[in-house]
Amino acid sequence: MLWYKAWLETRWRFLVCLALILLPAYEFFHLGTTLRSWEVDEPFPYFRRLFYSHAGSATVWQFAAIFLGLGGLVRERATGSSSLTLTLPVSRGRLVGVRVGVGVVEATALAVAPWVANLLTSAFRGTPFSASQAACCILLLAGGGMVYFAMAVLVSSVVEGEYTAVAIAFGVVILAYALSRDVEWLKALNLFPLVTGSGYVNKETFLFPEALPWSSILASLSVAGLMVFASIAIIQRREF
Amino acid sequence: MNGARVIQTNALSKSYGRVQAVRNLNLAVEANRITGFLGRNGAGKSTTIKMLLGLIRPTEGGGTVLGKQITHREGNRKTRQRVAYVAEDKPLYRYMTVEQMIRFTASFYGDWRPEISRKLLLEYELPPDRKVKTLSKGMRTKLALLLAFSRNPDLLILDEPSEGLDPVMIEHLLQTMVAQAGQGAAVFFSSHQIAEVERIADQVCILDRGCLLLDTSLDRLRESYRRIDLVLPSEAAEHEFRIPGVERIRTNGRQVSVFASGNAEAVIERAHDFHAISVEVAPVGLREIFLETVKEN
Amino acid sequence: MTLFKLIPTSGQPLYLQLMQQIRHAAETGALQNGDQLPGIRTLAEELVVSPNTVAKAYSELEHEGLLEMRQGAGAFVCVKRRTRLLTDHVHAARAKVRDLIEELRENGLQDEEIRRAFEAELLIPAAIARKR
Repeated sequence: MLWYKAWLETRWRFLVCLALILLPAYEFFHLGTTLRSWEVDEPFPYFRRLFYSHAGSATVWQFAAIFLGLGGLVRERATGSSSLTLTLPVSRGRLVGVRVGVGVVEATALAVAPWVANLLTSAFRGTPFSASQAACCILLLAGGGMVYFAMAVLVSSVVEGEYTAVAIAFGVVILAYALSRDVEWLKALNLFPLVTGSGYVNKETFLFPEALPWSSILASLSVAGLMVFASIAIIQRREF
Repeated sequence: MNGARVIQTNALSKSYGRVQAVRNLNLAVEANRITGFLGRNGAGKSTTIKMLLGLIRPTEGGGTVLGKQITHREGNRKTRQRVAYVAEDKPLYRYMTVEQMIRFTASFYGDWRPEISRKLLLEYELPPDRKVKTLSKGMRTKLALLLAFSRNPDLLILDEPSEGLDPVMIEHLLQTMVAQAGQGAAVFFSSHQIAEVERIADQVCILDRGCLLLDTSLDRLRESYRRIDLVLPSEAAEHEFRIPGVERIRTNGRQVSVFASGNAEAVIERAHDFHAISVEVAPVGLREIFLETVKEN
Repeated sequence: MTLFKLIPTSGQPLYLQLMQQIRHAAETGALQNGDQLPGIRTLAEELVVSPNTVAKAYSELEHEGLLEMRQGAGAFVCVKRRTRLLTDHVHAARAKVRDLIEELRENGLQDEEIRRAFEAELLIPAAIARKR
């Protein structure tokens, strides 16, 4: 029942983030079928709308991914339940693994949810909807962005204070962004073009090219994987 | 079945910087026994227990629990299947309800006894739908104990189990510990309530400043430890009573008070050699033995 | 069954106390031939003592012949004639003690002092006491 425990621990965070991430989708719904002045000359106005709705959700998602990654055993030590969890007949690797698994499922669900809402809106209104646009956006967001989640998991395996962990996690993101702007060879640290899809989307059609940047996604996922392994290693060696 | 060691440590040590919390500990806890673990605050009891359960790593030395090395991660994990442990702070998940805590814990252990858990839930008067964070300290303690007592482990480790409990509940706690021992669990518990240890323990270990000062059966303590109060006709030198077995001597003029861990007969004979006016022999309770043992250290 | 009361601080191993109390119960007739004593676990829980205490007491008494352990059924009392003779000795001794206590009380000793005197003397092992 470790999954159940991880769910109970992240339940409210998840639901709040779900509500926030659906706001752009609500905005999309609210826009209705009337084209605005800046959309009239667009060849694919609805694909444009969907993409910008996604951009809003993707921004929320990046924050949500960090929030979902916080917590864990080191936090439990501060709240006093770690000697219960750690004396269960379960390996520390499994404890971290289940928490990561639940978090990944939750993060993926958050990435998918706005598109489900937008799909329903489009079906209800009879407006254009592209399944491939949705799939690519979700893939780039969850695949490219899972590293945010993994980073938060790694930070919270080292830092005990709740607010300290949040501050450091966001600090890392800001630092990475700043470095990517100022230092040429660290440009890749800026994940926004990858994660939101803005670096790869066709600015006319707002659809994605045939070949997605698989290598970038895989690289990002690999880094996420390494961070998770590092967290497990740290937790395994830590004293409680 | 006697003779099998459920806990065995070899020169187990733990240092935090320059502070040695546990020093060269050779602890041997046998199966089918109730063993009491006494010590002052900071003596190293909880640190020892944490090392046994894999929460912290020894600085030196090692040990086994139920035959498996404590430093071996997977072995220790398997051992925890057969060990029930209640930490000193009675940890629970604040966001779970009583019922959720029970279902959660039950899911991990094959030796879970649902009928015992139901019985204790009623006896302890725990409301199943209340969240742990809304429970009083006493109820949280009862729940933490319920989670351990609803199992049938080979080893039951309790760290200060009676803390925060009222006398009625303490009586019930002791009965349940005896019941667990009756169904084959080795019970290893630390407590500041010396009277409790004296009632139910077969064996007592006294830890002070990380060292094991005493490890003996309570029956032997009862048979051997004596306080002998003498009044002598004239002042006698203390060293006259320094016989093997004598732990402490206090003199006040012609009054001599001898605290002996054994060989009381020799002290009495010596007293008669000195033509003692009065010789009073009294048994020594565990509290006094603990205080004297620790004071000497 | 509140026949037995074990005192952890009395300087005597608990199993010996229990043995004495069971013997005493048999001698005075509180336990009769064929009576069943509670099982080890049950009695241990009732008295709130370690099951080893009860087990040792039962085992020693079985050696002495006072108890018979029947597989699966428990411990049964066997009062033999030898034990009844002991009962007579115990009765006689009680009478002597009664007289002595009366005498000590008449001499002005308080009950507490009398009790302490008995306890102190009893703690001196028999071998030493005889030497005096």
